[in-house]
Amino acid sequence: MVTTKSAIGWRLPAGQRLLFEDFDDGIVMFDALVGATHLLNASAAETLAIVEDAPGLATAEIHRRLLERLGLPESALPLPALEELLWRLEDLNLVCTVAA
Amino acid sequence: MKVGALSRDEAQLRMAASGLALQIPPITVRVRSPLRFLAEQMRDLYCDYELADAGEFADVDIRMLRVREIRKWVHPEVQFIVDGTTPFDPFPLAQALPMFEWGLNWVFAHRMHSYLLLHAAVVERDEQALVLPAWPGSGKSTLAASLSCRGWRYLSDEFGAIALDDAQVLPFARPAALKNESIDVMRAFAPEAFIGEVFPETRKGTVAHFRVPTQSILRGRAPARVAAIVFPDFNAGAPVSLVTLGKATAFLKLAGNAFNYEVVGERGFRAVSALVRRADSCVLRYGDLASAHAAIDDVMRKAHGQK
Repeated sequence: MVTTKSAIGWRLPAGQRLLFEDFDDGIVMFDALVGATHLLNASAAETLAIVEDAPGLATAEIHRRLLERLGLPESALPLPALEELLWRLEDLNLVCTVAA
Repeated sequence: MKVGALSRDEAQLRMAASGLALQIPPITVRVRSPLRFLAEQMRDLYCDYELADAGEFADVDIRMLRVREIRKWVHPEVQFIVDGTTPFDPFPLAQALPMFEWGLNWVFAHRMHSYLLLHAAVVERDEQALVLPAWPGSGKSTLAASLSCRGWRYLSDEFGAIALDDAQVLPFARPAALKNESIDVMRAFAPEAFIGEVFPETRKGTVAHFRVPTQSILRGRAPARVAAIVFPDFNAGAPVSLVTLGKATAFLKLAGNAFNYEVVGERGFRAVSALVRRADSCVLRYGDLASAHAAIDDVMRKAHGQK
């Protein structure tokens, strides 16, 4: 069986804990697992919050919830853009994949 | 008893035997050395500091010893030994004092992880601390020394030691290392200030040490609340300007500037967050001390209004 990209599920790595500080010019996040700090935009921070709240969600469902949280139309943040964002977060070891 | 209460002979004898146990809040540093000239230089610079008893616990034990090798008789050298280890290559013997000062900075930066250590000068006025984070060459030591000659309390020219529980800043008030042109700038700005011997051709150029004003030493270990964060950027002759920073930007600059942000982990994250939420941050570009002082007065007036 072939798993489509949007059927991939996402969760935080085991033992991961994320701390957020929301400022006027960006969101600073602390990755407690490795002690790294990142500057995020709202899309990335909300995506991480969604994945943290509901581990295992598929990309498509994360996308739906993200648009709802940010109050954006799909044209402003298409699904491929979120897929790219998730893989970039995966590169930073902030999220990892699961079979959805 | 203060260091200055010792005669020159007493200072030399004590330093050669049991050592000078200097109380430099928040730590006690024992210095032992048979080098008579070093004892004199340290007595001049540390005259207002309290001495701990010889048998009292010292957080750091430093020995400054002449290197005993035949070829070193031609070019004599000194070794910095901390708690029995030698972290650096020797320096020329005449540069024993700069080596002690830099060595103690290194020890503080590598060991004092009960604080978040910003690479910053810190001064305080009216119970409001101004933190000046910067890398070498930005003028933070000269700025802190000059402000302390105009009524500010001097807490440090090198370390913003931030308490991890309440994000207050603690003093680590030691002589400011003035480099190159800043030595003459400070002499002209504050002729009454004590500036020690000039050391040419060190690894950081010409260096001289500014003695911490007595009133600042008398404030001891009292912490201060951070009211403003100003990143100084000196460029000789440049017009003065202040650029306000967003808090996330300030957060990243401050965390990136700290010696041990990664070491203290989540507590460091929370401390930096508390600092930038509490205090506004800006970049100060300046080309002379008078215009920098005027700009800092404006920053502190604004911070005072927001208190």
